[in-house]
Amino acid sequence: MDLSTVLLVSLVGAVIAPFVAARAGVLAGPLAAALPAILFAWFFAQIDAVGTAPIVQVLPWVPSLGIDLTFRLDGFSLLFALLITGIGTLVTLYAASYMSAKPPFARAQFLLYILLFMTAMLATVTADNLVALFVFWEMTSLLSFLLVGFQSEDAKARKAALQSLLVTAGGGLALLAGIILIGVEAGTFSLAAITANPAPILESPLLPAIVVCVLIGAFTKSAQFPFHFWLPNAMKAPTPASAYLHSATMVKLGVYLLARLDPVFAGAPWVGATLVAFGGVTMLIAALQALRAVELKAVLAFSTVASLGTLVMLIGLDGPVSSVAVVGFILAHALYKATLFFCAGIVIHATHETKLRSLGGLAALLPVTAGATLLASFSMAGLPPFIGFISKEYLFEAKLESSLDTIAVIIGVLVNAVMVAIAGVLALKPFFGRAKKPIHVSHGEQPGMIIGPILLAVTGVAFGLVPSLVSYALITPAAIAIHGAPFEVSFKLWHGFTPMLALSGLVVALGAVLAWFWDPIHLALRRRRVFDEVFSDRGYEVVLERTLALARWSTNRLQNGDLRVYGAVVAASVTGLLAYGLMSGEGPLLPNVGAEPLRPYLVVVCALIVAGCVVAAVVPSLVTAIVAVGLSGYGLALVFLLNGGPDLALTQFSVETLFVVIVTAVLLKLPTVARSSRTPGERWVDATVATCFAACVLVATLWIKAKPFNTQLTEYFAVTSVPEGFGRNVVNVILVDFRALDTFGEIAVVAFAALGAWALLRSGSAIRRTGKGA
Amino acid sequence: MRSLILSSVARIFFAIMLAGSVWVLLRGHNEPGGGFIGGLVGAAGFATLALAAGVEAARRTLVLHPVVVMGLGLFLAFVSGIPGILTDASFLTHQWGTLAGVKLSTTIVFDVGVYLVVVGGVLSFMFRLYAEDAR
Repeated sequence: MDLSTVLLVSLVGAVIAPFVAARAGVLAGPLAAALPAILFAWFFAQIDAVGTAPIVQVLPWVPSLGIDLTFRLDGFSLLFALLITGIGTLVTLYAASYMSAKPPFARAQFLLYILLFMTAMLATVTADNLVALFVFWEMTSLLSFLLVGFQSEDAKARKAALQSLLVTAGGGLALLAGIILIGVEAGTFSLAAITANPAPILESPLLPAIVVCVLIGAFTKSAQFPFHFWLPNAMKAPTPASAYLHSATMVKLGVYLLARLDPVFAGAPWVGATLVAFGGVTMLIAALQALRAVELKAVLAFSTVASLGTLVMLIGLDGPVSSVAVVGFILAHALYKATLFFCAGIVIHATHETKLRSLGGLAALLPVTAGATLLASFSMAGLPPFIGFISKEYLFEAKLESSLDTIAVIIGVLVNAVMVAIAGVLALKPFFGRAKKPIHVSHGEQPGMIIGPILLAVTGVAFGLVPSLVSYALITPAAIAIHGAPFEVSFKLWHGFTPMLALSGLVVALGAVLAWFWDPIHLALRRRRVFDEVFSDRGYEVVLERTLALARWSTNRLQNGDLRVYGAVVAASVTGLLAYGLMSGEGPLLPNVGAEPLRPYLVVVCALIVAGCVVAAVVPSLVTAIVAVGLSGYGLALVFLLNGGPDLALTQFSVETLFVVIVTAVLLKLPTVARSSRTPGERWVDATVATCFAACVLVATLWIKAKPFNTQLTEYFAVTSVPEGFGRNVVNVILVDFRALDTFGEIAVVAFAALGAWALLRSGSAIRRTGKGA
Repeated sequence: MRSLILSSVARIFFAIMLAGSVWVLLRGHNEPGGGFIGGLVGAAGFATLALAAGVEAARRTLVLHPVVVMGLGLFLAFVSGIPGILTDASFLTHQWGTLAGVKLSTTIVFDVGVYLVVVGGVLSFMFRLYAEDAR
């Protein structure tokens, strides 16, 4: 199978599997999980091949725009693919069990979103073309929206879903702008080609714009300051989705993209410094908020934001070790954080209690969950022999080796100490602490829900004890892929007595102290309401409110229901734009067109048109006005006819006839003499706008006349109409053959407009009828 | 406002206009005309009938609901593009052939589609306007 087939299997399976599973009763989980498991096996089998060279597959998509559907599987993509499918398998199993009390349709719907999300994620991390990557990237945002708002009867969930969509998809638009700029400057959208030859982008004057756009895209997706607020709010999603999207995979996409572009941005040191700054600020805010957070999932969410900040900072650091640290931390974090989310989900599901401080003494009731949590939090705290320890060693090594060592190490020690404390509190308090009031457990540990955390927690220990399991197969190819050049990677448990070990020891000691005094610290920080003001989503609310207010204001102004205002606005805007275009053009305002011989019959026709217009503008009788407008229209059709445009003339005649027929039907319901609803002042404004409009159109017409007429198209169609379109009527051949797709679009517009008018007329009459009581 | 003269000649006018609209539609490829103009003329024919003999008579003459006519037109226009995909992989590239000495092509299917959309579109809301008036 090649990559595109795998993705297609994933897509088709994602649509079918949930509905099959919904009818399978107890077997639902294993059935639905078979899809990600099969995909995991396929990606696992590619490890050897990817170790030697990336797997590439090119499918043409929009060749005229240089957009190919190129899929490329290298070490870094493979690491993500294995995490996505591996954790995806466990999430699917877990979700089937977690949702078992819901109606079958809701269960199927949830699994559908989860599996579709998995497909979109796989496509994002294997796409080599940036435009294709963007499309899949936005798909993940959309599915995240659906999953956060899954409990759609909850207003808070809907609000959080909208917020996550506006932030991530809005950031995605900035990313699209950045991608287009990259494509323009580099001449290609291929990630591999861009990173292989970064010179055109680094030398471009647009580099700052590119960086800002890409960073906005990445920071919104990965919840970096100042967009960090959406991720904790997104915890309204059901816990399996939180574990999958908002911890292990999707939120790492921003990090993924930054890591991918690291070989390019490494050439501009200020980009790295920016990443370190934003990553550092995010880490500090998230650590503080994690200490203040009340709910179990919120604590996990803030610690995830801190981890994402750590990753962004690591990417900003220079030196090859940072690549190893990024890869190692992504793997370690995915393993322990998914476990912790799973366990938190089990606790919440069993106790219906979401607040951390209310929980206690659960070790006796949920023993396996307690064990898995303990293992995962040891890894999170960075204790040996867990993989978290190894990744933390590299984290400090990367910081010490970089040119920004002091600040990076200080922030690193502080934030990691908080993480140690959080890990300790999470593992000990709910399971071994004393509960304030007795906790009621509605059910024990279900097999479908407990298998995921056990497997992940044990994997974390196994990788830590025997790092060679992952070092050659995963870590090395992935680190080399993002570093851009081969280098020696050593991923080991024991490095000897190094400065990194000393820092690790310091972090654990500090963390232990913090954990010991967690209660007083937590309560003291909670009382500081000022943090709510500073770090909440207040800014988002303000921007949203202002935007809505602006929309309301402009709608009230421009679309107030008075047709005359609509007309005036349109005419005035066109006049303004035309006038600006004419003023800024070169040459005299009134070009010399040259005199043409006066044709008397044209003068007569034009006089008719003018007379029609004047009459329509001044008469109070609506019927007279309609006839006058019709007169101008027929006059115009005559002008077309006299100037060799029979098709246009014929159309104009038909349209004018129908216009009169239709408007007459409307008029039958209106009084024949209209009361003038315009004051004399308003009429003067209307007259001025109309006069300016006419003057601008006149000048524009003269300009068009003054330019030599480009006959290229006319000649092309005249020559090719009969041999290629088999028709002598060039206008018709263009409409039905050369530009048939345009015509198809136009008749679709006609159809939809007519449908709209039809529906409006019905509702109007229905209201009137009910008004009459009939 | 029923006029005796109008109602007595309306059927004849309608027949002439409908025949004329089809003629305009069919000649369109080589002479001035085509689906759009033909559709407008056809719609005007139905409008005449509706004015003279009432909306119900015009609706009965059309047989199908105007919105259905419109949808049928869009569908025909779409279908006319499919042979193009099958032959040289490009939607709406029209195909030509001769059957028993008569030149046939998918363009006429497309143009009939345009015709039906215009007729259906105009009539869908015009019938409603006149129906309101009748009540």
